[in-house]
Amino acid sequence: MTVVIAFVPKPAGWAALSAGIEEAQRRGEPVHVVNVSRGDQLVDPGYASPEELQELRSRLELSGLGFTLDHHVGEDTAAEAVVEAAHTVDASVIVIGIRHRSATGKFLFGSDAQRILLAAPCPVLAVKAAGDD
Amino acid sequence: MGDLGALMDGFATALQPIYLLYALVGVTLGTAVGVLPGIGPAMTVALLLPLTYTLEPTAAFIMFAGIYYGAMYGGSTTSILLNTPGESASMISALEGNAMAKAGRGAAALATAALGSFVAGTLATAALSLLAPTIAELAVQLGPQDYVALMVLAFLTVSAMLGSSPVRGVAALALGLFIGLIGTDTLTAQQRYTFGISALADGIDVVVVAVGIFAVGETLYVASRMRRGPIPLVPIGGSWMTRQDWRRSWPAWLRGTAIGFPIGTIPAGGADVSTFLSYSAERRLSKHKKDFGHGAIEGVAGPEAANNAAAAGVLVPLLTLGLPTSATAAIIIAAFQSYGIRPGPLLFESEAALVWALIASLYIGNVLLLVLNLPLVGIWVRLLQIPRPYLYAGILTFAALGSYSIGASRIDLILLFLLGLMGWLMRRFGYPVAPAVVGLILGPIAEEQLRRTLQISQGDLTALVSTPFSVTVYVAIVGLLALGLWLQRREAASEAELARQLGTPGGPA
Amino acid sequence: MSEHPPGAGETVPGRRAGPAEFAVPAGLLVLGVVTVWQARGIASGASGAAIGPRVFPYAVGVLLLFCAVVAAIALVRQGGAVAEAGEDVDSQAGTDWPTVGRLAAAFLALVVLVEPLGWPIGAMLLFGGTAWALGARPITRPLVIGAVLGLATHLLFTRFLGLYLPAGPLEVVLGG
Repeated sequence: MTVVIAFVPKPAGWAALSAGIEEAQRRGEPVHVVNVSRGDQLVDPGYASPEELQELRSRLELSGLGFTLDHHVGEDTAAEAVVEAAHTVDASVIVIGIRHRSATGKFLFGSDAQRILLAAPCPVLAVKAAGDD
Repeated sequence: MGDLGALMDGFATALQPIYLLYALVGVTLGTAVGVLPGIGPAMTVALLLPLTYTLEPTAAFIMFAGIYYGAMYGGSTTSILLNTPGESASMISALEGNAMAKAGRGAAALATAALGSFVAGTLATAALSLLAPTIAELAVQLGPQDYVALMVLAFLTVSAMLGSSPVRGVAALALGLFIGLIGTDTLTAQQRYTFGISALADGIDVVVVAVGIFAVGETLYVASRMRRGPIPLVPIGGSWMTRQDWRRSWPAWLRGTAIGFPIGTIPAGGADVSTFLSYSAERRLSKHKKDFGHGAIEGVAGPEAANNAAAAGVLVPLLTLGLPTSATAAIIIAAFQSYGIRPGPLLFESEAALVWALIASLYIGNVLLLVLNLPLVGIWVRLLQIPRPYLYAGILTFAALGSYSIGASRIDLILLFLLGLMGWLMRRFGYPVAPAVVGLILGPIAEEQLRRTLQISQGDLTALVSTPFSVTVYVAIVGLLALGLWLQRREAASEAELARQLGTPGGPA
Repeated sequence: MSEHPPGAGETVPGRRAGPAEFAVPAGLLVLGVVTVWQARGIASGASGAAIGPRVFPYAVGVLLLFCAVVAAIALVRQGGAVAEAGEDVDSQAGTDWPTVGRLAAAFLALVVLVEPLGWPIGAMLLFGGTAWALGARPITRPLVIGAVLGLATHLLFTRFLGLYLPAGPLEVVLGG
């Protein structure tokens, strides 16, 4: 069993990382961090840069947990990739970061968090960034 | 001189609230579309042209001036924040600007680019207002044979400069000339190349051709081989310009202006050549040679200034001779034509109020850009996050909208797509598209002047070289071609040298 | 991302000229022949003008033929040219025909449907179809955005700019 963390280099994503590490330590399980992009934007702020990846790795190493990192550009949307990963690594829990979104925004763009919740094969732990309510 | 008074009258017009609003809308739209990846100034101007269809001429041209300057400006923001290929006019500033941004000096890079564009734009516009009326006065004396010579000059230089090889440029020009032939001959009312299709009797609308070749062609090209994968965005950070930055920037701005404006006025490839020349000048003169390639502020300030000064320089032959020296300029001529106005030496007499309002709005547009650009960088950055499928779907939709709204004709839509296919093939096989647009606009004008010359001389071909001016131009053509090829070689050499010195820029450090 | 992003100044290695490269010279040749051929049929007009409406077409036709020949020779001698670079273009990729085909279909749909169904619906289909063809998923998202865009541009062009666009069945709602 593994803790799957859906990571984005934003406050909510870093919060998810901390919560996920905590959760994995409590359960005594390794973590699997997913950060993917469809690569269809010239600039994708949700896709970790080399510096952010470095930061991510050092935090994971500091935690002393066993970890794997999935960071690639593919056809899947972020939600699909996370659910897919949960299946392949036999996740015990998925940890995601969420943020407030307006009704119109949700209508137009949908919500990755919602898609993960509906499709997840296991419990989902959703956390907010500090100060975001 | 009455020119200053005329300029003041122009300001009085352009500063009216409603015209200020048009200028603001034009500048904002021009910048926003110019920032978008894959859209250069020519495509921006062509896509936004339909918005001015129903406006009265003064409002239309004030908005148009804003779009033109805004589109020039937009590209530089993108290139500093991203290290991307494309949009060659701002590529050099991409090198240094992006290096500065990576070193945490993004804010200073954007500031020197914006301020440099403002300084250069304003000085070059001032030069334009001084120079243009004088040139127009001299140009009034030109006969049709002199215009033929000037157009031969424009044809040759545009096709020789704007492509990877002269033959490809000339081929693109010939395609444009052919499209320009379609329709009814103005002198004899004979239909040519209409193939019996009545919708072609009036020729193909310039907007359909320009939008087809640029927007639809680009969309098809991107669709056929879309890039996957984002390019890391460099966060805008660091302090604003320090005292040292100012000291290093302002001479570069002035040098960039001095290089860009004259290059813009001659048909030598417009903005591209001027940015490269400015960059190599800065590099040679700088006391901080070591910084070049790692974020030298002069390397951003100079080329950015040159780029914008050239944009104003392009307007000199455009307004005084009706001679476009770039694809963007050709589309502006088409915009004038759609109002029944022909740019040329008489413009300053027959449409004095309009021209001076246009020039005044260039000054205003520069100020608006400076005020808008720095605070709005955050919004421009968000535009870069539009996923490619949506971006190109939007470009295609607006291309169709612009073409269809001209005459609510489905034939225009079909022509748009066919021209798009042509644009795609040209891109795919390395043919420049800009000469085609120049040929399309300038071809019919050149034909008319040629026939008028020979009508007066009753078919005597020596009439074409019967004036000192025309002979001078033909001699100058030879000289310019030599100079142009030399410049191009310099450009290629400095590019190669840069590539060698920097390794592959953009790769992980 | 598996590979590093391409940077400015990246050059595409010149390719050997494949058969496809000759498409442009061939096209120029055909167009040149058509231009010269058709020029013969242009009536020269009644006026005794020194040069009539045929001369310039002949010149353009000859220029096209000249370019076709020189371009073909250059291809044989110097090999293929460098395709145009772009921010969104992967110059190493092959031609993605299915995507181009879908995109063309979306555009044809607009040509056929813009009059019966009106601009707002036509624009929705064009935008939705194009974005979908280029990889936007799920299809509902581009369709919704396309509908908003179609309506907004319709109102902007017809109400504020005073241009005509067909409203189709939506005419009842949008007014004439």
